Amino acid sequence: MDHPSPFTAALPDGLDLPLEVRVHGRGGQGGVTCAKLIAALFTQMGLYVQTFGDYGSERSGAPVQAYTRVDRSPINNRNKVYRPNHLIVLDEGLLGPQILEGVAPGSLLLLNSHAGLESYAGRFERYRFGVVDATTIAREQGIGSSAVVIINTTILGAYARLLGLPLSVLEKAYASQGVDGDLPAAQHAYEQVRGRDALEGGDGTPSAAAPAAAAVAAMLSHSQDFPASLKTGSWSNQAPVYGEHPAPCNIGCPAGNDVVGFVQALRSGGVEEAAAILLKTQPLPSVCGRVCPAPCMQACNRHAFDGAVNIRSLERWIGDRCSLELVPQPAEKPRRIAVVGGGPAGLSAAFQLAHGGHKVTIFEAGPALGGVLRSGIPLFRLPDDALQRDLGRILRLGVEVQCNARVDKTGLQRLTREFDGAIVATGFGPAFGLGAEGETLAGVEQGLDFLDRAKQGGVALEGTVVVVGGGNSAIDCARTALRCGASAVKLVYRRSRQDMPAIAEEIEDALHEGVELLQHRQPVAFTGESKVTAATIAEVEPGPPDASGRRRPVVTARTAKLDCGTVLLALGQKSGLEFLPEGWTMREGRAFKGGEALPVWFAGDCATADGTVTHAIGNGRRAAEAVLGGDLLPGRMPEGMPVAPGQIRFSHFEVAPQHADREIAPSLLKGNFAEVNLGLTGPEEAQRCFSCGHCTRCDTCLVSCPEGVILRMEDGYNIDSAYCKGCGMCVAECPRGAMEMHTKQEAGA
Amino acid sequence: MTMQLLSANHGAALAATLAARANRFGRGFCSGVYPITPSTECMEYLCQQKIEKGRVIRVESEHSAMGVCIGTAAAGARTFTATSSNGLAYMYENCIAAAALRLPVVMAVANRTMGPPWNIWADHSDALTLRDHGLIQFYCADNQELFDTVLAAFRLAEDRRVMMPAMVCMEGFILSHTVAQTEIPEQEKVDRFLPPTDIPHRLGTTPHTLGQIEIPHQTEVHRWQHHLAMLEVPDVYAQVQYEFEAVFGRSLDDAVVPYRAEDAETLIVSMGTIGATAETVVDMLREAGEKAGALRIRLFRPLPQDAIRTVYAGKKHIAVIDRNIGLGLGGVLWTDTRCLADSGTVVQNYLAGLGGGDVRPEHIVKMLTDLKPRKVAGPPVMMEAV
Repeated sequence: MDHPSPFTAALPDGLDLPLEVRVHGRGGQGGVTCAKLIAALFTQMGLYVQTFGDYGSERSGAPVQAYTRVDRSPINNRNKVYRPNHLIVLDEGLLGPQILEGVAPGSLLLLNSHAGLESYAGRFERYRFGVVDATTIAREQGIGSSAVVIINTTILGAYARLLGLPLSVLEKAYASQGVDGDLPAAQHAYEQVRGRDALEGGDGTPSAAAPAAAAVAAMLSHSQDFPASLKTGSWSNQAPVYGEHPAPCNIGCPAGNDVVGFVQALRSGGVEEAAAILLKTQPLPSVCGRVCPAPCMQACNRHAFDGAVNIRSLERWIGDRCSLELVPQPAEKPRRIAVVGGGPAGLSAAFQLAHGGHKVTIFEAGPALGGVLRSGIPLFRLPDDALQRDLGRILRLGVEVQCNARVDKTGLQRLTREFDGAIVATGFGPAFGLGAEGETLAGVEQGLDFLDRAKQGGVALEGTVVVVGGGNSAIDCARTALRCGASAVKLVYRRSRQDMPAIAEEIEDALHEGVELLQHRQPVAFTGESKVTAATIAEVEPGPPDASGRRRPVVTARTAKLDCGTVLLALGQKSGLEFLPEGWTMREGRAFKGGEALPVWFAGDCATADGTVTHAIGNGRRAAEAVLGGDLLPGRMPEGMPVAPGQIRFSHFEVAPQHADREIAPSLLKGNFAEVNLGLTGPEEAQRCFSCGHCTRCDTCLVSCPEGVILRMEDGYNIDSAYCKGCGMCVAECPRGAMEMHTKQEAGA
Repeated sequence: MTMQLLSANHGAALAATLAARANRFGRGFCSGVYPITPSTECMEYLCQQKIEKGRVIRVESEHSAMGVCIGTAAAGARTFTATSSNGLAYMYENCIAAAALRLPVVMAVANRTMGPPWNIWADHSDALTLRDHGLIQFYCADNQELFDTVLAAFRLAEDRRVMMPAMVCMEGFILSHTVAQTEIPEQEKVDRFLPPTDIPHRLGTTPHTLGQIEIPHQTEVHRWQHHLAMLEVPDVYAQVQYEFEAVFGRSLDDAVVPYRAEDAETLIVSMGTIGATAETVVDMLREAGEKAGALRIRLFRPLPQDAIRTVYAGKKHIAVIDRNIGLGLGGVLWTDTRCLADSGTVVQNYLAGLGGGDVRPEHIVKMLTDLKPRKVAGPPVMMEAV
């Protein structure tokens, strides 16, 4: 074959031929092209070249080798390069003893590394060693993508410098391969590479001291059986990790219940196992399982698939059936705590403290425990035995109760001295009125007072009843009024049905029972002699938006008269801390006198005005923690990003509609206070829980791993990192977002 | 003439492209292609070329790829395709069809182990399955030789006295993917070297059937005609070599390539890139005073028996290295050529590089160490290229 090409560059001094170069890189980094560029470089000097990659099960990230040979005569040898004179390592994560196989002392070793030459002091001393941060240079020059930077055209600049070649020899070589646009990057590397000579002897040619190529095996029999061990774990720089992520139901629960925990426990272990989890934070499961607005169900990811899990009724199932007897834990330093108010917040605080081994006394102003549970929620929603079941469990922890024991200013100060701490959980203050003409007429009363009377029994109504309001109390009043004998009940609300804060199912039930809803209406006056006989109802328009963006209702002058014999007002309540002693202020749930923090905390509606039983329960628990810790009681902390519907693999699950509550449609309402909602017939609904962000050991990861390197262990799974190629199938297939990919910190780790 | 850094795959595709353009004066060019490792690069490169009066058609399988070539060759076009191992196996019956129909399809085969189990590396067994079906077979050892042989294959296959498919083989990755300087001639020179394709039995304006049913006597005649045509190939090839050198100013290697073999006592015989490694070993041994020589078989079918017999004559020991195995008997090069040696010569078979192992000079040295004391040939020896 004729001479390959005219000289355009001179051979650098001290370069011995034949020359063998070996490049180590990772698939996708441009290692093979790097070797080819080296070949193109040497063709400028009129030499014969040969270059090729070592092909195997290559894929992006897997270790890859490429070779280049250079000589003055045609190259016959097509073996791989076993004794390289020059070794170029494109990724410092590949450094290891194996990479230096066959490299004689004095050979050139060029490394792409972010660390400087000093970091390699004492290492690779037998070689002529050079290091350059080609990755940073190439990234700045925009070669490749920011995730996969291509460094071959950059590092060649450093190579040329170490060989003592002028940068100009790269120009023709790069032009011949169509990469002359990368010359600036090569120039940076040319300038920035740092090198040092070999510290021990050796001139770079393979000597007898160099490790020989692998010995040729005996010819007459097998020397090794297969399969060859191929530790593919080194191919990846990412690894899957099992992680627990917050479920949206947990994040959404104001009581801080471990919802996904108790539902999964019900599913796999049964009622008692579920109760053990639920009762940690929830002392009133039979109550909440009936009356909670269930924000967990609104947050439930299954809502985006075939309907939210009926969590509320699952909680009821557990609360109504569990026989778990809780035992007070021994406390290191038992305290004596006074709880003012026997409603949900006070009960929750007392429950936590008593379970923790502390001595608790509840001071309840009314004749019995319960607060709004006792007086405000009707029997057809919360039967007495359900309330008693939950109260009994609390009392059996040794909580002392004093009923008919209203605490005033003096009393509170006395309690502060007599006990180690006090929790004030007195709930809301007085109810709002309308401020309308005729409001003082007989027959116009506050809804809460009506509900309390009705619960004690013997309230009879007749004619049309007007209920004003849109919250749960208004709905309760309306439905109770029907049962007390009203011939018609009109629920008057100034906004629309969608705006009503009451639980949607309750509104539905009310309408089903015959309550008539008058939207965008408000009473502006009541008329009658001594007793109310009619209400003047005005039309209400949504007005211009206020600062929060919500449109403020505007009462118009268009009115109509509505005959009625009873008006029930359910407009909400003011905050109720009027009985605080002088000089006391509440800050972040704790009482302060001037600057001094007092051993008095506030829990429930009196502190936060959240307005639901479940909020009160959560707040009461945190108040108990604050008492024991001597802390302030700030609001609920955000607990991290919940698993989103997009992270759940819906295709893994079969469509299964929600098990709905059984409801009795009473044919005769009058005098019928029996429970309307009978809940579920069984706990199968728990099967529908996705277990968002929490591994259920469903084996999907194990089955989908193409390498078969996921093993079931006693308490979870183990992934064999020696073989895991980081393909991410397990993470993608996990039905419930309980896995994620992490970048490995160390190469080959 | 330009010098380009090309892999052998790309070289084959470029040679086919130049040949394709040369037939713009004839009935054009057509190629049916399908990818398979380690041949894919070749068809990819071909697909990117602009060919006046030509088409490269990507089909859904290798079987169809050869189908396209058969159809368009039957219409008188110059044709080409590229494949490997299991792709060649899928193409198999159509390769036999192309041969039996006496159509001059040129194929670039990147030799690869047959699977499963899947093995992507070099092994000659794939092409050797077609040994007996009337296709010309070349085995190349370097990039320039591969390029030149593909060019020459068109001339040889399309010669009226030959008129059959020609396979030009290169070992997968070792040659197919290795990049080296390759001299590329100008189109005008290729135009001169390759006259327009002229297939006497092509489908023309008179409709007729190509490849009908035939009775035993007709098969006897056809097989014998085909065989005789193959026996003409060495003479035609010599003429092609002459024309090649006249046009391109470079020589095309002979059908067999001896290296320091004339006075050798020990001969190393092989095909493909192992031949180049053998020459390195011969130099080493000669340096040490041993009378060693090598013979690289370039044209395997038809087997150049006379040329081989001439080189085998007078040798004491012959090591035949096969990167393949005819299971149940031994390496194919050994079984095909051992009878061509003198009766007293020890012709020993060494199987090396099966499945793609890297055959190094040390392996060949070991073979000769084993061969030296032998007085008679033994069964084939399997060498593990670890």
